[in-house]
Order: sequence, then structure tokens, then C-alpha cells
Amino acid sequence: MYGWIWRHLPGNAWVRGIIALMLILAVVYALFQYVFPWAEPLLPFGDVTVDGASAGGAGAGR
Amino acid sequence: MAARTEHDERTDTSASPPPARRRVRDRVASAVSVFGELLITAGLVLALFVVYSLWWTNVLADREADRQGDTVRSKWADGPGALDTKDGIGFLHVPAMKNGEVLVKKGTDPKTLNNGIAGYYTDPVKSALPSDDEGNFTLAAHRDGHGAKFHNIHKLKNGDPVVFETKDTWYVYKVYKTLPETSKFNVDVIQPVPEESGVKKPGRYITLTTCTPVYTSKYRYIVWGELERTEKVDKDRTKPVELLG
Repeated sequence: MYGWIWRHLPGNAWVRGIIALMLILAVVYALFQYVFPWAEPLLPFGDVTVDGASAGGAGAGR
Repeated sequence: MAARTEHDERTDTSASPPPARRRVRDRVASAVSVFGELLITAGLVLALFVVYSLWWTNVLADREADRQGDTVRSKWADGPGALDTKDGIGFLHVPAMKNGEVLVKKGTDPKTLNNGIAGYYTDPVKSALPSDDEGNFTLAAHRDGHGAKFHNIHKLKNGDPVVFETKDTWYVYKVYKTLPETSKFNVDVIQPVPEESGVKKPGRYITLTTCTPVYTSKYRYIVWGELERTEKVDKDRTKPVELLG
């Protein structure tokens, strides 16, 4: 997979290295900016309040 | 160079099995390697998520909390005055937690708390305000990530001061009871008279809630305090003795 991407990048090793680095940074940015903020409320790590009403812990008062 | 490549290829061909079998083996090998790479990728993404949760959300939340705190401070710059609940009602100072001052705003929904502040409950049991004659001032904040304002809640011991600063009053509470673990459905801990802490009569209480154990939110950690005294804010905002040590 990564070998395939590497072979399809243009230029010599240096140019490919720089492009690959930029691709990695773009992916990390997308993860931090969009994917993780979306995924975080779906995971049960950030609930700090007591809330008796919602048995599933999905109440508005979490 | 060219000659060597030719030589390599020739050796390669002579040492390999017939082309058809080789092609099948290549395909299996590449499927296995793609699968392996996907597993490595998943591991890296999970590691990045930990970095995000425990570091990046703190960076964002602290920045936002500083900004919102500055807004309140600049509104207070004209000296002591009446309570203004819009941008936040005041700052919580807990010397034992060593986390500076925590802005307190209305509500405990994730969107509010994710800004690196503490919120007072509006649901399921409505919090009293410190200025009320009696009631329980109930707060929640994150233990980890998003500012982690109550990270060191386990360092609070009985007798430790918890000071709440509003525009015109310092409210000095003393911790009298901690509950290291309770169910997240236990709303009794934030009742106006929190009988679980051993008190029976209405009074002026403060309750801090956050999640426990650290890094998870399986249970809730509760700290109760009772108002000891109040102090008027003077024009220099001189801190009460509890915060000077």
C-alpha cells in the first residue's frame, strides 16, 4: 500500500520524501481537526457529571 | 550498472519457481503486506488519538479558557459589583489542585466544559449559587483533556480550602468529605442537602464532581465543602489568606 503510493509519487527520492511528508501532515491535520472531534463524544472517556435520568448516559446534562 | 541489473534479473529468474505459481504467491504476499500496513496505520491513528485527547484538547481548552477568563476579568476591571452571570459567574481557586483559577459558567453540557472551564449544574438537580442563603453549589469539570481542570481532585483532603471568587465576594469553603468513587447515576450527591456526605441540615455547600479513575469515566469522584466565611472584595482584589500561602 505505502510502497504503491511511494512508487506513484513523482520526482526523485528527495521530492518524494517531501511530498510524502506533506501527505502525512495533511492526514494528521484532518484527523485532529475533523475526525477526532467527531469521534470523541462517541467514546466514553469524557463524561464528568452525575446524571440519573438517562440510563444510557446519553442525557443532555452530561 | 546496466550489466549488473541484467545479471541480477537472470539470477532471480533462475532461482524462482514457475511464473504462474510465483504470481499467486506474489498476490498473497502483497495482500498480507497491505493487511499488515493497515494494522500499523490503525495503531498509529489510535496513538494519535491519545495525543489528541490528553494534549491537544488541553492546548485548545486552555487557550479558550484564558480568553473567556480575560473577558470576565476585563468586565470586572471597574471594581466590585453585582453578580453578572452571562460570561461566567466567577473563578474557582483550589490551592490543593495547583491549577490556578478556573472560570465557572452555567451548565455542564460537553460544549461548555470542553472550553477548559467548570460548569454549575442546571440538570438533573439545579445548583444553588454561592450567594444564595442556603443550597448546594454543584460544579463539574474535566479530569483529563479539555483543560483537565479537576485533574488533581484526589489531592483534596478534609480541611482544604476551596475559594470561589465572584465580582464582589470571596466565598471560602472548607472540604469536609470526599467520595473517591460513586456511580455516575448517583444524583443524590448534588442534592441541595447532600445527605450522602453526612449532613442533615440545609446549609451553604459546594460540591465538585469529575470522573474517575484518571483517563476514564467509569465512576465519579465527589468532593464536598461547606462555606466557612465570606469576604468582600476590596478595590485591589486582595486575596483571602487561604490563597496567599
